[in-house]
Amino acid sequence: MGSLNFTLLFDPLCLFFLFVICVVSLPAAIYSFSYLKGEYSSAKITLAAILLAVFIFSMLMVVTVSNVLFFLVAWEIMSLVSYFLVVFDTTHERSVKAGMIYIVMTHIGTAFLIAAFMIMYKYAGSFDFLAIKNACQAMPGGAKNIVFLLLLVGFGTKAGLVPLHIWLPYAHPQAPSHISSIMSGVMIKTAVYGIIRFVIFILGVHSGWWGALLLVTAVISSLVGIIYALMERDIKRLLAYSSVENMGIIFMGVGLGMFFINKNLPYLAVFSLAAGLYHLVNHAIFKGLLFLGAGCVYKAAGTRDIEKLGGLIKKMPQTAFLFLIGAMSISALPPFNGFVSEWLTLQGFFLGAHNVVGGTKLFLGICAALLALTGGLAAACFVKAFGVTFLALPRSRYAEEAREVSLAMRIPMFFLAALTLVFGLAASLILRLLVKVAGSASGIDISGMSFSLNNFVLSPQMGKSVYLSTPQLALVLAVLGSAGFIIYRLFAAKRDAAVSKTWDCGYYKLTSRNEYTATAFSKPFRIAFSFFLLPYRKTQKIRESFYHVKSFAYETHTTKVFKKYIYDPVLALVFKSAKSMRRIQPGSIHLYLAYIFITLLLLIIFMPKF
Amino acid sequence: MQAIILFGVLISTYLMVIAKRSTSLIRAFRYQSFCLFLATLIIAFNEKQLDLYIVAGLLFVIKVLAIPRYLYRFLNKIKANEDLGLFINTQLSLLFALGFTYLAWVFARRLIVSDYALAAIVPAAAFFMVLIGIFLMIFRMTALAQIIGLLAAENGLFLLASTVSGGMPFFVEIAIFFDVFVSVIIMGFFIYRINKLFTHIDVNKLSRLRG
Repeated sequence: MGSLNFTLLFDPLCLFFLFVICVVSLPAAIYSFSYLKGEYSSAKITLAAILLAVFIFSMLMVVTVSNVLFFLVAWEIMSLVSYFLVVFDTTHERSVKAGMIYIVMTHIGTAFLIAAFMIMYKYAGSFDFLAIKNACQAMPGGAKNIVFLLLLVGFGTKAGLVPLHIWLPYAHPQAPSHISSIMSGVMIKTAVYGIIRFVIFILGVHSGWWGALLLVTAVISSLVGIIYALMERDIKRLLAYSSVENMGIIFMGVGLGMFFINKNLPYLAVFSLAAGLYHLVNHAIFKGLLFLGAGCVYKAAGTRDIEKLGGLIKKMPQTAFLFLIGAMSISALPPFNGFVSEWLTLQGFFLGAHNVVGGTKLFLGICAALLALTGGLAAACFVKAFGVTFLALPRSRYAEEAREVSLAMRIPMFFLAALTLVFGLAASLILRLLVKVAGSASGIDISGMSFSLNNFVLSPQMGKSVYLSTPQLALVLAVLGSAGFIIYRLFAAKRDAAVSKTWDCGYYKLTSRNEYTATAFSKPFRIAFSFFLLPYRKTQKIRESFYHVKSFAYETHTTKVFKKYIYDPVLALVFKSAKSMRRIQPGSIHLYLAYIFITLLLLIIFMPKF
Repeated sequence: MQAIILFGVLISTYLMVIAKRSTSLIRAFRYQSFCLFLATLIIAFNEKQLDLYIVAGLLFVIKVLAIPRYLYRFLNKIKANEDLGLFINTQLSLLFALGFTYLAWVFARRLIVSDYALAAIVPAAAFFMVLIGIFLMIFRMTALAQIIGLLAAENGLFLLASTVSGGMPFFVEIAIFFDVFVSVIIMGFFIYRINKLFTHIDVNKLSRLRG
């Protein structure tokens, strides 16, 4: 048994994650007070505050402890507390079910982690990070591969990598909104910390396929996540699926980094890892902002179903504005931060394709193309989310009665919205810091590397012709935008605008039901991806006679492929074996006694054999 | 002398196996306990220890007098069906019992490493009593048979302890006696409750209670 010293670690990687945790948790905590007021009793609000504190504290512990055992303890506390927060709204059946899925999945993940740590302990004889790091150098390749796979499944479950993402769209929306923002913004990021800390830092990248496997998983995750998000009409669940997508993008950076470490391209490895970390902090900021915005909508309108919303931009303009900034940022539009990190990740792919030969070139090219597709779909998804929720006319009483939320809820969102801009404009400075983090995490010396020309211009590719300057880009956008606006005012303002009703073919009965719906908006994508979504429809006609249809019901659904073809068969198998186990447990005392008796007799008869 | 008493133990145990009614089962148990009392008395006489005399006396008072009387009175009170409810009929049970006798003998021979074959005969009888005790608990339906089966197994353990190791420490012995007595009273109470609630004491039917 190695000595168990409770020491904390504060290397650049830890500090980076501490920053990410604090920058999302603090606004969410401030937001929570006015969000919870009026929803629950005061005792329950106190409980929520305590749980929130423990939750944040456990996440801080996860990223700072320097000992595998304490890491597991902190990890479990984090999982359990977040479970309590998911089922916080106990009056809803759905919360309990979501919590059940969450706790089962997270414990399966933890089981894999424990297995990996046990193998590491067997070689190191100690639980300390540094001791394990030293021992891992002597670990045989086969054991390393097994440990990597175990860690990938274990952390992948927490990160929501496809096909282990199944819990995420249930658990995140069900928690109170400030918790959703912390869970989506920060908690699932601890899995990235785990992968970087344990695979890259401690284990050391051993074979080339590790990075490739992570890359493929990440690409699939981001595509699957965003396609499901496009199909969703529950706004918080849409955001949760989008988290799956963004975790995919983050892991693309990390996977690329691992890939390049193995290919012995240190500059690119550090660059890609830094790109992944950049997207991590960006996603934390804008997903936190979006979940808080969704919470405002829920608080104001009382529903999360975007088909019942609409027109909220007039009722709650500030929330709409803040949500729009989040949506633009997540859709990777300049000058916001999402653009910078996706651009960097894409550059990582392109530069990598330049520096490798053969089929690997093609592989990286395809990955880059799929990342671009993901970005496009994300933009479509948030056009839908913002457009259907905030534009047009209210679709139901819920939306009509919505009012702007209190200032205490808007201020944290203003803070995060400002950060999206700061992280977009100060990209060059931030990348320099992140490169240090990536360098220390991967053990690569970065003193001779340069990633930017000055404080404003990013320049990967070591002085070749690719540059990005977000402040200049923002300036150009501002100038062009205001120029367009001025031209419009000069030429269009003189014309008289005729205000009248929308022409409706003489029907004169346009209601909110004639509006474009979210389902209709996503229909082209449903058709384009029908090979994966497997949509089906149900129609039901109720006729009075052959000629007169009294009512007509039309439903369209998509098949949940992973649930139907992976989880359902596994569950069925578990239940089937449980049923056959039940056969030997009929509840008869005589039979139970007989089991003991027969065992005794067999032991007597076969005693000489033992 | 010892041989005769052991013979008595065997016979009374066979009587328990072929008992069809509750009263005869209790009576057979009383015979068995009485034989055990005699065996303990002889050991006490040989070793001339006061402790063992007291143990023998307690055995007589509790297992020969108190428990059977309590069970008789109890049976009268709940007016349950006399029938024990056999899963296996008496003839077949007896065949099994004979098989167990042989098995216990083989087991004891293996356990007691001695040139003198008869050294294993008392442990063999003890094992036999334990086996039959459990056998009764399994193949008789009523809860009463389960109490008696447990007591018979306990008798077997007592015999084993008193012969192989020259008896357990005195206080342990006394504690066990009280335990047994109290447990019989508690089980009796439970049977009373079961009978009141379900109007029978058939343990086999209790399996319907499971969820």
